[in-house]
Amino acid sequence: MAHFAKIGMNGKVLNVLTLDDNDMLDANGNSDERVGQQHLEQHNNWPAEMWIQTSYNTSANQHKLGGTPFRGNYAGIGYTWDDENEIFWSPKPYSSWVKDFSTATWKSPIGHPPELTSEQSSQNQAKTHFWMYNWDEENQSWSLTNLRS
Amino acid sequence: MKKKVLSEQALYWGNVSMPKGFEIDTGKLSEDILHSSFTNKEFPYSKTWNMLNTYIIEHIGLKYNLSLTNKNSWGSIYKPNQISKSLFNANLMDLYNSPDFTLLYGVKVNNCFVEIHYDDNRRKGKSWNIELKNNEFIMFPSTNVFTISNEQKENLNFIQTIVYEYI
Repeated sequence: MAHFAKIGMNGKVLNVLTLDDNDMLDANGNSDERVGQQHLEQHNNWPAEMWIQTSYNTSANQHKLGGTPFRGNYAGIGYTWDDENEIFWSPKPYSSWVKDFSTATWKSPIGHPPELTSEQSSQNQAKTHFWMYNWDEENQSWSLTNLRS
Repeated sequence: MKKKVLSEQALYWGNVSMPKGFEIDTGKLSEDILHSSFTNKEFPYSKTWNMLNTYIIEHIGLKYNLSLTNKNSWGSIYKPNQISKSLFNANLMDLYNSPDFTLLYGVKVNNCFVEIHYDDNRRKGKSWNIELKNNEFIMFPSTNVFTISNEQKENLNFIQTIVYEYI
């Protein structure tokens, strides 16, 4: 089963459809994205070039089953197709965040949150606390919160 | 201080920007409207209608996170200088099966205006007037009464109505 994202005029993903593998085989029996695009154009009345194949098992530029990641992330409705870098970007979580091309994710301008201390991790494991860093857009910093308090 | 919006009467409008070569075939839609109007038959669902419906569902869903499913559709013709009677697509005796939204699409229109009536708390009987243009849509709650007027004296106006419920 193959998956294709339907791309809108502004590059946003409008929908994601599945396609039978047999519907994207070329004359030699090889899987070809363009054949799938033509099939989708014919049956869904939307231009072939605005159907982009996406990988169900790719997330944050990693393949869940150990294969080769494909186009950054599995496309979802509201994602943006980056034609130049061949990446499906999730919606930007905060206006100050920037693209991390190596992981196909967004990151804060000061990077990822600090690691939890060993004490905080043990408290999370013991379920007495639930320590978590949340992004504070106003102060442009990570703030540590106990969600179990 | 906090605020919670308990109810909303929102109006959505815009044009149907299909990719080049895949534009809505308004000739086909107006033919279907004519045919269904004069034969008194149900509006025929077609590839063109489906393209319009899919566009609306997908774009409203993407932009406003509103998941719509269509309940019914029909076409209407308005003669020059005709003003419709008051229209209302919800059934007060059967609200469970009534649609949530009414969408009007300008198939072939000229000087076509839609007047939507609403109450704003104790301020009753207010209305909003908006022009419906070719290849544009207006969507509003089906519980709002509205009228459609063809404010010119030469051409028929063709309008496609689709009613939706949200899920």
